[in-house]
Amino acid sequence: MRLLALAIRSLKETYRDPLALGFLLGFPLVFMLLFGAIFSGDTLPEFAVGVIDEDNTMMSQAFIDQALPMVPVLSVTTYDDADTALKDLKFGELNAYIVIPPGFGQQVSQNWQGAKADITLNMTYDESDVMISEQLITIINEVTRAFAQIEMPVTVNALPIHVENQIDYIDFIGPGIITFGLLILIPTSARPIVRDKEKGFLARLLTTPTRPLDFILGYSLALVAITIAQIIIFIFGAWAMGMEIIGNLGLAFLIFFLTGLCSVGIGMVIASLSKSENQAEPLAWLFSMPLAMLSGCWFSIELMPSYIRAVAFAFPYAHTIEASRGILIRGVGLEAVGSDFLFLAGWAVAIFAIGVVLFRRNMRS
Amino acid sequence: MNSPKDDFAVQTLNLTRKFGDLVAVDGIDLNIKKGELFALLGPNGAGKTTTINMLCCLLKPTSGTARIMGYDILKQPFRVKGTIGVSPQETVLSERLNSRENLELIGRTHGMEATELKSRSRELLATMGLEARAKDQVRKFSGGMKRRLNIIMALVHDPQVVFLDEPTLGLDPQARRAIWEYIVRLKKEKTILLTTHYMDEADFLADRIGIMDEGKIVALGTSHELKNSLLEMQTMLIQAQDITEAAIEKIRAKYAEVEATGDTLKISDKQLGFQEIVDLLHEAGVAVRSAYMKEPTLEDVFLQITGKELRE
Repeated sequence: MRLLALAIRSLKETYRDPLALGFLLGFPLVFMLLFGAIFSGDTLPEFAVGVIDEDNTMMSQAFIDQALPMVPVLSVTTYDDADTALKDLKFGELNAYIVIPPGFGQQVSQNWQGAKADITLNMTYDESDVMISEQLITIINEVTRAFAQIEMPVTVNALPIHVENQIDYIDFIGPGIITFGLLILIPTSARPIVRDKEKGFLARLLTTPTRPLDFILGYSLALVAITIAQIIIFIFGAWAMGMEIIGNLGLAFLIFFLTGLCSVGIGMVIASLSKSENQAEPLAWLFSMPLAMLSGCWFSIELMPSYIRAVAFAFPYAHTIEASRGILIRGVGLEAVGSDFLFLAGWAVAIFAIGVVLFRRNMRS
Repeated sequence: MNSPKDDFAVQTLNLTRKFGDLVAVDGIDLNIKKGELFALLGPNGAGKTTTINMLCCLLKPTSGTARIMGYDILKQPFRVKGTIGVSPQETVLSERLNSRENLELIGRTHGMEATELKSRSRELLATMGLEARAKDQVRKFSGGMKRRLNIIMALVHDPQVVFLDEPTLGLDPQARRAIWEYIVRLKKEKTILLTTHYMDEADFLADRIGIMDEGKIVALGTSHELKNSLLEMQTMLIQAQDITEAAIEKIRAKYAEVEATGDTLKISDKQLGFQEIVDLLHEAGVAVRSAYMKEPTLEDVFLQITGKELRE
């Protein structure tokens, strides 16, 4: 088997080079520990608050659209029913949710007309989250009083619940960091091919009857072994830093693995387009760094402009983050990440096909 | 398409390659017979490596084509690649593999069977004196050892046609000699196309020599043919004492070029009378210690055809 012979050779070239091997396996570990330490703070930087409008008046609508967004630390999402909001609270998407009870609009307009009326809001939050009970109640109180133009305190009915799996920031950022690690596989994958190209060893192999597909699969097989090792180290590292794994680890692994394949493929395409390591290396980084940012490796892309999100979702990595986050911290199954899964698989197949076409084209200059 | 009476292992048909305005190989028509050792001799930049690279399907010809054992390099590249073995000009090895693994990698890409490959590798390593270090990673090898491995990597799969691009480039005389002896042993068994810019290498090894300059084959023939039919000048060298001006004048009257430096006389002309010159010197009272006709070299041939020195 030609491709196997090439793959074994690539692996030997790697594991007999202690420095390279140390980089390939040590880097994900150091990386994970570093990010884990940075992001292991215990709260989200702002309060995610859900709102359910049971009053349904112009007044309650104005409160949601205008008053609440004035508070910079609040990120407000509207819900149609309390059950959905409760689910998101449990999954850590929300810090709390407010139910605006019927009669709210009337109470506010009475106050505006000078008559004093009590204003009541119901707020549900995780009782273990001390920050919420102290700060969020105060914030909501303030904003409601300002909105209703009253002096006296608003009655905020505190309805704390107990949430079993509290989601830390590491849980949220973990999948993003793993994905970033997989993006770095792009330069890693371009390197061995372009090195063989530069040194003339590829030319030597090209004088043998080895086919383009043999080359692509031969090189990638060795890289796939490295990818698997890296994913294991990444997941282990994230777990060691406190990332909770709720869902199916095998499914998460599969998502990461498909992403790794896409990176290997992109790396090979870059290698095919480059003449030397000096060309391939910057090209690979130029490609992977902006993608890391766009795809949401370090921060949420929920609030980014839609065209940027469209670009991000044209590449595998935003899908990886979304799907793996769903699996790892919310425990969703294949039915929830099926479309991401298919997208990643399709992308991997397509990029390898492009790799083979480019390789064939460059076989004879 | 493969005619049975076809005796040629390598056939080029108006093979041409341009790089922009530079014509690296300029319409070469070569026929190399099966079992022949053919040397392309020429200075660096003459187009030798470009020719080889086209023949082993690494470079596309700008026009023209070539056939290797009847397979067209444009239409049947993988057939061609299955037939040839190539030792590139630069020593290219997989540095962290040992010499046996390097050989076996090439063997496997040619679909060789494991046991056959093993015995073949052992045999080649032994012939090249590399068996003692067969298990060392090749990055630790000396230049000469790497060069030997570079050559046997072209032979491991027992190809019918072998391309050796500057096989002894940069080696010391002893190592060169060892490689020459090995190449001589391969003669007749295989068709070998060798490129070199060492005239002694071509002279020693080749059945036929094609002298290449600026992309063209400027002369073609056996070493003997090239030296004798093409060379129009004969040169005689004389060592003597008491060379007088009068004696020099006497010879100059009869022959085109006479150079005297110290005790040495160098006489050149289309036709030289050996005895006549010795007699003339005797009569002029010069004591001749030695006199001989200089053997023409390929260097002289190259100089005469192109007006340039072979080596920069």
